[in-house]
Amino acid sequence: MESLLEISFITTWLAASLRLTGPLLLAAIGELYSERAGVLNVGIEGTILFGALASYLIAIWTGNPWAGVAAAAIIGVAVNAFLAWMYVVIKASQVVVGIIFNVLAMGAASYAFRTLMGDIPRIETAPMLPEISVPGLSRIPLIGPSFFEQSIMFYLTLAIAVGSGILLYRTRFGLNLRAVGENPKAAAAAGVNVVRMRVLGVLAFGLGGGLAGAYFVLVQIGLFRDTIVQGRGFIALGIVILARWNPYLAILAAFGFAAMDALPLSLQLLDLGIPSQLLVALPYLLTVLAVSGVFGRSRNPASLMVPYHADR
Amino acid sequence: MTIRLEKRETPLIGGWTVIVFSVAAVLVGMAVGGLLFLPFDASPLDGYAALIGKAFFNLRGFGFTLVAATPLMLVSFGTIVAWRCGFIFLGFEGCLLIGAMGGTMIGLQALDGGTLAGLPPALVTSLALAWGGVLGAFWAAIVGELKVRYGGNEVLIALMMNFLAIYLVQYLVVGPWRVVGDMPQTDRLPRDLWLPYIVDGTRLHAGILVALAAGIFVHILMTKTRAGYEMISSGLNPRSARYGGIDVAQRQRQAALIAGGMAGLAGAITIFGVHHRLLDGLSDGTGFLGIVTALLGRLTAPGAVVASVLYGGLSVGGDAMQRQSGLPSSIVVIVQATIVLLLLASEVLRTHRLVFGNPAATET
Repeated sequence: MESLLEISFITTWLAASLRLTGPLLLAAIGELYSERAGVLNVGIEGTILFGALASYLIAIWTGNPWAGVAAAAIIGVAVNAFLAWMYVVIKASQVVVGIIFNVLAMGAASYAFRTLMGDIPRIETAPMLPEISVPGLSRIPLIGPSFFEQSIMFYLTLAIAVGSGILLYRTRFGLNLRAVGENPKAAAAAGVNVVRMRVLGVLAFGLGGGLAGAYFVLVQIGLFRDTIVQGRGFIALGIVILARWNPYLAILAAFGFAAMDALPLSLQLLDLGIPSQLLVALPYLLTVLAVSGVFGRSRNPASLMVPYHADR
Repeated sequence: MTIRLEKRETPLIGGWTVIVFSVAAVLVGMAVGGLLFLPFDASPLDGYAALIGKAFFNLRGFGFTLVAATPLMLVSFGTIVAWRCGFIFLGFEGCLLIGAMGGTMIGLQALDGGTLAGLPPALVTSLALAWGGVLGAFWAAIVGELKVRYGGNEVLIALMMNFLAIYLVQYLVVGPWRVVGDMPQTDRLPRDLWLPYIVDGTRLHAGILVALAAGIFVHILMTKTRAGYEMISSGLNPRSARYGGIDVAQRQRQAALIAGGMAGLAGAITIFGVHHRLLDGLSDGTGFLGIVTALLGRLTAPGAVVASVLYGGLSVGGDAMQRQSGLPSSIVVIVQATIVLLLLASEVLRTHRLVFGNPAATET
C-alpha cells in the first residue's frame, strides 16, 4: 500500500512539474538573450501578460490555438520593440522602465479584457494545443506518461532551449550578442553594432515572453485572468541566474523551480508535515546564494544594466 | 522623411524644463486615457473631474489619498537614500512585508496572556513600528552586505529576497500565526493598539505623521549632513569618492539599513493603520511603486511627497470611479503608467533634439 502511494506520488509530481516547466523555461530563455546582451528586462511580467491575453482572444475568435500562439509571439515582440527603444535608445533606467511597464500591462490587459469581453465575461475555454504521445516511449512505466505525453509546446520549448544554446555558443551571432553584454566598447571596436544587438536581444525576449503567455493559456489553463502571471515572470529571472546565464542549465533550473512549485500539491498524497512554503521558497534561496558571490562567482554579464553610449 | 535624434550642444537644464516636460507628460497621458473612456460612452472630462474631485477635493476621499500615499512616501524616502548612494535596491516589497510581520509580532504579544500584555497601548504600538523598521533594515542589510562584501548584484538578489519574504509571511498566516477561521490571517489587533485616526470623518491615521517626520529626517540627512554628502558622492562616482577618503562600502551599508528601515516602517504602519492584522496577499506592488514616485520626485524628499500624494490620489480616485460609475479603474492605472513612461522618455529631449527630415538634406 505504502509503495503504491509513493509511486502515484512520484508520477503525479513528475507530470505536474513538467507541465509547469514549459512556460517558465520559455520566459527564462527569452530573458537570457536580453541579459546576455546587457539588458535586464524586468518587463517580463507584463510581456507574458500581453502574450497570454493576445493568445486567449485570438484563439477564441479564430478557434485555432496556433493563431493564438502566433498572436502572442507578435504582441510580445511588438511591446518589446517599445521597451528596447526605452532601454537602448533613450537609455532610461532599465529597472524603472520594466517596473512601470508591468504596471501598464496590468492596466491595459485588464482594460482590454473587460472592454472586449463585456462586463461579465462569459467563461469560455480557449481551444487547447494538442498533446503528443511519443510512440513506444510513452508506455515506459512510471515516467513514460509524464515525459512522453506532453503538449506539443513542451517539445517545442525544449527545442528552443537547445537551439538557443547552439545559437549562443556556436555562432557568430551568439558571440557578438555575448560580447555586447560583457564589453560593448570592445565589441563596437571589433565592428559589432551594439545598439542593434541589444535591440535584437530584447526582441528575442519579447518572443520568449509572449510565447510563455500563450503557454499558460493554451496549454495549462485555457482561460485568461489578469492575475494569470502573478510573479511567475520574476521566477524566470531566478532561473536565469541559477542557470548561470546558460540555456542548457536553464532547462534544469526551470525544472527545479517547477518541481518545488508542484511539490506541495503532490505532497498532499503523502503527509510529511513540511510547510509547503518552505519548499516553494527553496529555489529562491538557492538563487540568492547563487548570485550572492559568497560561493565563488556566478557572474552576471559585466555590462548588465549599463547603458551604452557610443561617444563616451 | 525620417525622424532622428540629434545631440544638443548644451543640454537643457533648469526648473522650467522640468515643469514643461512634466505638464506635457501629464496632459498627453490624460489625453491617451481619455480615449479609453469612449467605449463606455462616458465623457472623459466628467470622468476626470469626478476622479480628481473624489481624491483631492473631498475630505473623506483626501483622507484615503493620504493613507495610500503614506507607504509610498516611506518607500520613496528609502529609495532616495539607497539609489543616491549607488545602491540600486529593489527589495522594498520584501522589506515592507518583513516590517509588517515584525509589527504584528509585537502586536500579537500584547494580546491577553502575551509577554507584553498590560503595557500601555501607545508604548506597544511605538515598539511595534520600531521593530518593523528594525527587521526591514535587517532584511535590506543582507542584500547590502552581499553587495558590498561579496560583489553580488543587488538588483537580482533583492528581487529574489522579495519572494522569500512573501513565502515567509504566507507560512506564518497559514501556519503558526493563523487564527481559527477560513481566511489565512492572524488575530485582529485590539483596537487600542491601532494608529489613531487624526481627522474626524476620515480614515486618515497617524502613520502619515510618522512618514512626514521620516521625510524631514531624510531631507536633512541628504542635504545638510556630511553622511548625506558622502552617500551622494559614493553614488555619483564610487572611485573618486574612494580617492577623496570616503568609505563607500560603509556608506552603502548605512544606506541599505535606512532604505530597509523605511520600508519596514511602512509595512508596520500599514498593519497598525489599515489592516489591523497580518494577512496573505499583503504584497500589492507598493514597494515598487514607491521607487517610481521617488524618481518622479527627482530623488528629493519634498518631490517624493508630492509625487506620492498625486499617485496615491489617482489610484484612490480610480477605485472610487469604478465603484460609482462602473468605469474600469484600469483606465487610471494606464494613465499613471503612461505619464511615467513619457517622463522617462522625455529625459532624452534634454540632451537631444528631434530632427525631422532627411539627414542628408539638413547637412547641406
